[in-house]
Amino acid sequence: MAPVSDQRPVDPTALTFEGYRRGDGSLGVRNNVLVMPSVICSHIVADRIADATDRAVSVPHDHGCAQIGADHEQTERTMVNLSQNPNIAGTTVVGLGCEHLQSDDLAAAIAERDRPVRETAIQAAGGSDACIEEGTEATRELARTAESSARTEATLSDLTVGVVSSDVEASTREVADPLVGEVVASLLEAGGRVVVAGTERLAAHVDTVAERAANDAAAESLRAVAERSASQPGNVRNIVHRSGEHSLESLTGAWGGAPVEDVLEYGEQATADGGLSLVDAPSRFEEATTALAAAGASIVVHVTADGIPTGHPVVPVLKVTGDEATATALATDMDVDARTADADEVLRQLAAVAGGERTATERHGLTKFAISRIGPSL
Amino acid sequence: METFAGFDRPSGPAGVRNYVAVIPVSVAASAVADAIADRAGEQVHSTPHQMGTDPPEQAREQIERTLSGIGTNPNVGAAVVVELGTESTDADAVADAIADAERDVEVLRIRDRGGTSAAVEAGVEAADRLWADIAGLERTEQDASQLIFGVECGGSDATSGIASNPAVGRACDRLVEDGGTASFSETPEFIGAEHILADRCESESLRERLLERVDFRESAAQLMGVDLRGAQPSPGNQEGGLTTIEEKSLGAIVKGGTTAVRGLVDYAESLPVGGGLVLMDTPGYDIESVVGKVAGGAQIVAFTTGRGSTTGNPIAPVIKVTGNPKTAERLASNMDIDVSTILEGESIESAGDRVYDLLLEVASGERTAAELRRLEEFAINELQPNELAQLRENA
Amino acid sequence: MKGEVLGGVGLQMSRDDNVVTAIDDVEAGAVIPYDSGEVGVEEAVPFGHKIALVELAPGDEVHKYGEVIGRATERIEPGQWVHTHNCRSTRGRGDITDGKEEVA
Repeated sequence: MAPVSDQRPVDPTALTFEGYRRGDGSLGVRNNVLVMPSVICSHIVADRIADATDRAVSVPHDHGCAQIGADHEQTERTMVNLSQNPNIAGTTVVGLGCEHLQSDDLAAAIAERDRPVRETAIQAAGGSDACIEEGTEATRELARTAESSARTEATLSDLTVGVVSSDVEASTREVADPLVGEVVASLLEAGGRVVVAGTERLAAHVDTVAERAANDAAAESLRAVAERSASQPGNVRNIVHRSGEHSLESLTGAWGGAPVEDVLEYGEQATADGGLSLVDAPSRFEEATTALAAAGASIVVHVTADGIPTGHPVVPVLKVTGDEATATALATDMDVDARTADADEVLRQLAAVAGGERTATERHGLTKFAISRIGPSL
Repeated sequence: METFAGFDRPSGPAGVRNYVAVIPVSVAASAVADAIADRAGEQVHSTPHQMGTDPPEQAREQIERTLSGIGTNPNVGAAVVVELGTESTDADAVADAIADAERDVEVLRIRDRGGTSAAVEAGVEAADRLWADIAGLERTEQDASQLIFGVECGGSDATSGIASNPAVGRACDRLVEDGGTASFSETPEFIGAEHILADRCESESLRERLLERVDFRESAAQLMGVDLRGAQPSPGNQEGGLTTIEEKSLGAIVKGGTTAVRGLVDYAESLPVGGGLVLMDTPGYDIESVVGKVAGGAQIVAFTTGRGSTTGNPIAPVIKVTGNPKTAERLASNMDIDVSTILEGESIESAGDRVYDLLLEVASGERTAAELRRLEEFAINELQPNELAQLRENA
Repeated sequence: MKGEVLGGVGLQMSRDDNVVTAIDDVEAGAVIPYDSGEVGVEEAVPFGHKIALVELAPGDEVHKYGEVIGRATERIEPGQWVHTHNCRSTRGRGDITDGKEEVA
């Protein structure tokens, strides 16, 4: 839970910590090696490799084969950009061999970017045992290299912070989102970059959403995303429907009142120097957080009324709830009780987490990873 | 009549394994379920998945049907159902289905336990307690007619249609002759071969339903506005000599044998006991497809592979059959039976009889390569928004 | 195994098939006895891949298992490798708006 406030207003640029500066200029708050299966068929092998290596995290997922068109492209884009998350020092791609998303192609795409990549595949290695061995060796090597990553003093304004509210309950809209919104406003004012997820809440506000845009291109993208959300009956239907019951302002309280500079595709990397970007991701925690991490967020703030208790393998997650029952029932799984915390406390907590302090989910260690789908399995 | 040594259940057919299943109802409970299974005894297996906390109705029905099917699979002696406590997916309904099959079941609500760590503790205790109640069960002689044999192919190449699929098809024919059930699925891999299956359908209505399902799956390509070839055949299939989906399908359907098609069920819907050859409508995506059949009641799965897939399942043993001599050698530690001998002259009947013998041995307790390595991939087929919209249009 | 291996090189699954499946890696110059004559293999063909037994014009059906597995997309000479570069499926073509009509 949040520490007691000392009553002084906090300037995010005054909150310093030691971060990891990557070759592309981004700033990480963790220094991990990513073990990335290219397909579901190699995800347990990837898990075993990560289990056998200090500072390695795996991202087991259900995809990589039997997908077509834009659905396949979204999976690939997400994985490539995930490897460039500032918390990641290097990546081992683990394939099976016959899948649609080939591990050597994925590794080649990653190699064109900033950080080291290694690749292994079950069929090429001669079986799962051999692949675990080969992958573990490669991952340990990457981990040794990671140990020498330089630490630099940084402030919160150097970070990209991700934000997702995974529901539109009253406690979220009225208590937790406004608190997070204050934090977001403060970060943006200090020159930081914030990415937010959860586009289905725009569904009922196609006509007014453009007012939130900082420029014409963003206005057009916001309208397009809202229209598409309105037309979809998908897993997001509940928030889609309920978006009509509330004002746009009430649904976007966590955005800090800032204009949206651009709208990123799911899995796309943010390129703006600062300001607020909307990521076209649903509000579901795991899928949203993956998109925010791919966009470049090194920390994610998750507002949850029901207290979704899992973390994410790539980014530390600050769990914020405004719900009384959840704050009580899941006290050890939540980081911020929004009913009592103020923005300064949350900023201090963010700085502490950026400096290495573990969040509630990092303490229990249970994470969940998922990538959004936009087409059926074949 | 062939027999195997299996576990009697209070209702339904005998199991070939005796597990406590830890079944999360949503992604929010999934990591807790995994942690429970990791810390509890070896016979406690989790079925982690990524289904959302609030899926649309048809998707939710499919998720609940799958989870209930997993919990009532004959290999499951008892179960813990895990939920966060706010999901729309109904943990109590899943638990009721398991209780109706006369298995002990407990529901673990994370929110009622004071959080993740406490829930894991409570879950481990529950799982160990449930295990203690079924640990003493002994294998007894069971008639092979109780077996529901799920058949899958993955990482296919040209040898699949020539060797491994015909061999497994022969094993299916043997089991059907002995009164059991064989089931294969992967509807996209009927495309181009559906007329052959249609001609084997027992009734005209079944025939029509089968052709409708194939049409629907084929229209997925139209739905996405692209050529199916992006995914079917996959790059590995193509490297292995398969040029088109028709060629892949014609080789794929052989794995179900030659008997009449006696039924067609939905994804994860119950497969009949003693039902002969019954198809299930699933995607061609292996893990989701295997899970559908295990949820349908398959106690045991044969998985043919040319390129060498190494995947298994947490609830049913998966027998890996390859007809590719290079894969048999290179991936020997992940393969259970080599039928590439067919290319050198062994008859399909003889190789198929070896598969059937192995099926009965594995049913009696012999562990497969995937079981020895605890390769237990699990995923539920999630109906996607555009798929749901299409289903609604067709309704 | 079903079908007949022609000249120890390629498996003809059904008597009407106009392609055979290489049962080992095949070198250019290998000879396949066929239809009381022979077909000379024109290029190296990997294990499991197909070799044309007859000349195929663009649009001609390719037969294996005694069934249609696709159509030639270009002219294929006897002895040439038949694969995705010169043979294409007629099914699941969401990229063609009238795709359903193409299926015979």
